[in-house]
Amino acid sequence: MTGKGIRSTGTALALLGLVGMLLVYWLSFFWVSTDRLQGVSQRIFYIHVPAAWTCFLAFGIAALTSGMYLWLRDERLDRAAVCAAEGGMVFGTIMLTTGPLWGAIAWNTYWNWEPRLILTLLLWFIFLGYFMVRGSTENPEKGKRFAAVVAIVGALDIPLIHLSVIWFPQFLHPQPVVVKPEGPTLDGDMLTVLLTSLAVFTTLFFGLFLLRYALETLRAEVRARERAATA
Amino acid sequence: MKRLRIVALPLVVLLLVASDLGGQLPGDQMATQSLRAYWHVFIAYAIAIVMVLGWVVSIARRLARIEAQLGQ
Repeated sequence: MTGKGIRSTGTALALLGLVGMLLVYWLSFFWVSTDRLQGVSQRIFYIHVPAAWTCFLAFGIAALTSGMYLWLRDERLDRAAVCAAEGGMVFGTIMLTTGPLWGAIAWNTYWNWEPRLILTLLLWFIFLGYFMVRGSTENPEKGKRFAAVVAIVGALDIPLIHLSVIWFPQFLHPQPVVVKPEGPTLDGDMLTVLLTSLAVFTTLFFGLFLLRYALETLRAEVRARERAATA
Repeated sequence: MKRLRIVALPLVVLLLVASDLGGQLPGDQMATQSLRAYWHVFIAYAIAIVMVLGWVVSIARRLARIEAQLGQ
């Protein structure tokens, strides 16, 4: 795909995602039924879970492209990693702020120091470290390599986050309600809104990821021109 | 780097304070709780849209800046 192609695909996906987000908001506020046990606060679920999924997807992509960058030393892979990591931070922040708002009503506490929550916060900080490491070395190439290792280490936390609620069921965070061996246990309309929201968040992420990638490509071009001018 | 620290520090402080505040809330005030739930839903949805639009605007501004740089 050419630079223009990446940008137009990114713009189209981002616009589709933003329109989809309006649809998700409308479905969440006016269409889906209210949970009998948790009341209106359960509606936070329709943004909290998709944000979590998108965050893990983004950090997973960042780790995968980082690993490939360490192997192939292709600059495009490093660019993809940094763009995905930035998206992961955005969606991770949504997950980490909407979760406590829901927990304050459902559990009567904003935060509980339990494995899943601690591991999720740790993931967010590892990727914050990713950006710090990138900018902390004199040699940018070294910074990219160190950051790639941080991304891979960070992604190892993702399966632990998923498994932590199964390993430690005595804590407050609910068990999975969709990805279960016996199938989803959500009501039909709730599942519809959740799946729509998952698709919308994923589309939005890929759209903005492509636009961010186009930006990173242009930056590389500017740097190349500057180098050529000084040589 | 400085900007990253500005984002991270308030989040940590917020989490530490919030874990204490939660325990002090009265459990039997149903009407207040219900109104509080609506507020939390609105705030959560507002955070999501602000974060996403913030990222959109940030990318658009950086793209415009780099294009201007390339045009020079």
